Amino acid sequence: MTPIEIGLISVIAIVFLIYSGVYIPVALGVVSFISIWLMRDNFTLALNLLKVAVGDSAMEYTFATIPLFTFMGLIVSKAGLGRDIYEVMTMRFRKVKGGIGMGTVGANAVFAAVTGSSIASASVFTKVSVPQMLAQKYNPRFAVGVVAGSSVLGMIIPPSAMLIIYSFVAEQSVGDMFLAGVIPGVMLAFAYVIAIWFMGRFTPGFVGGRVVDDSEWMSKREVASKTLPTLLLITLVLGGIYTGWMTAVEAGAAGALLALIIAVVRKSMTPKAFWDALLETGHITAAILFLITAASIYSRMLGLAGLPNQLEDMLVGNQANFWTIMLLYVLLMLFLGTLLDTASIILIVVPLFLPLAEALDMSLIWFGIITVVGAEIGLLTPPLGISCFVIKSTIDDDRISLKDVFMGALPFAFVMLIVLFILIEFPILSLALV
Amino acid sequence: MLKSAVSGLSRIANTLAIAMNALGTLVVLGLVVILNVDVIARGAFSAPIKGTYEMVQFSVVLIVFLQLADVVRVDRLTRSDGFLNVIHNRKPGLAANMRRIINAVSCIFMGLIAYITFPEVLHMWNTQDYFGVPGLFTLPWWPVKLVITLGTSLACLIFAIKVITAQDRPELVRTPEHDETST
Repeated sequence: MTPIEIGLISVIAIVFLIYSGVYIPVALGVVSFISIWLMRDNFTLALNLLKVAVGDSAMEYTFATIPLFTFMGLIVSKAGLGRDIYEVMTMRFRKVKGGIGMGTVGANAVFAAVTGSSIASASVFTKVSVPQMLAQKYNPRFAVGVVAGSSVLGMIIPPSAMLIIYSFVAEQSVGDMFLAGVIPGVMLAFAYVIAIWFMGRFTPGFVGGRVVDDSEWMSKREVASKTLPTLLLITLVLGGIYTGWMTAVEAGAAGALLALIIAVVRKSMTPKAFWDALLETGHITAAILFLITAASIYSRMLGLAGLPNQLEDMLVGNQANFWTIMLLYVLLMLFLGTLLDTASIILIVVPLFLPLAEALDMSLIWFGIITVVGAEIGLLTPPLGISCFVIKSTIDDDRISLKDVFMGALPFAFVMLIVLFILIEFPILSLALV
Repeated sequence: MLKSAVSGLSRIANTLAIAMNALGTLVVLGLVVILNVDVIARGAFSAPIKGTYEMVQFSVVLIVFLQLADVVRVDRLTRSDGFLNVIHNRKPGLAANMRRIINAVSCIFMGLIAYITFPEVLHMWNTQDYFGVPGLFTLPWWPVKLVITLGTSLACLIFAIKVITAQDRPELVRTPEHDETST
């Protein structure tokens, strides 16, 4: 067998093993190890590559962003900042049909700027937003759909764990990736709001709900106390990176400290909650970074097999045009997104396509935004949309089935797809701030 | 007899994993502290701490491999078990066997990493090799290498125990930090 055949078989084997439930880092590591061994017919070489990958790939300064931003996000969720933003936002949108939905999207977009994970957003907003929407007679499918759809913003609007992972694979600066995520994220949020307005106008049955007249307005003081902490955090983190005063790692540490101070001042942090947040940070970090370590063995294997270059020759050689390649890429991510989580999709797909993107003179920063948005659609699609699972398990209400969550999220997944195509057509949207 | 031996071993392995996890958690906290001190010292007094960069790099590796065994223990290593759960509902026996095989493969993988990294620990210990810029800031290599070997060995052991006891329950989302009763 030629190396290319072995490489191709290993990619298929990895996808198959992952689908049958093998731990993703184990599938990546074991298959890559065996195929390097077969390709070079040299067991010692394969062992050495494994050793180097394990020892070196985790030892990366920028990886410190993952525990830091995860920690900051967890503290912020526990401090109740998400609920505050939500209250302010829904007050603004109260009089419109589907207004709470729009408020939820807005609150999610703001909250996303202080957390890096869709999971955190999904669980926070399921708790604060869904019961209120149900109380106002909104269609349950719409209620959970809005939360699922807007939770995705958490991983596009910086700080985002997925942008960090991409920046490692593609060797781009984390700060640049963060800045590139701002406009696409805000755009997606607006697209959701417009979509909800259309749904309220043309399919009121799907939205449901009644307009509340007895709206009480919060005092200016109350609004300020509910929004200022979050705005302060956003300014510190994004401002610090944008002005170049801090690296992304330092911004993460400063953000974590500020979040902690806010939580302590508001008396919403017990020692137990603090320790739990630290523990969870550790678990998430170890899981993600071990996955990245395994993926680095995989990308070495791909390189040895020459698969990415082969793919490049095939597509460029056949005069495949830009849109054919991008459509192929998006379809591949949607397919993998049916079962894999976003991080795994990025780590499996990007090493394959990177040389191609470089050969076509694409901006790798723009390519990263496309990748993250494309892979995120999978969070909303069955059978394994992680955001939908989180919502289902957080709601704990038998009247709403997993199917309802998926059906509710579907229109939002569709909106994402449209936004994705706009982002592909206009790279400037991703590159304006960088 | 064998059963009690396994459960004893399992208790020891779990205790070790939790201890390493706590240690790794302290490293996360240390990371927050040291970076903030550095930012403040640099911004306010133009006196950055020496070796922050190296310490951050080290702590990332420490966090990963100190936590790895505990991640395995609570079954939060990244996986996609939607398909396994479907099988579990139809043919529980088949699903249990698949889980055993998967854990066995994972056990071998972790063992392999522990096996190939162990000589490095000895080598670094004997040579007392260091990392960083000599004269400015250096850190010895061996603790990092030791943690990698220890973490993966313990993960290997925990996987082995999972194969023997077949304790691995399917769940949609795992957030064990939040169960008060998790053992």
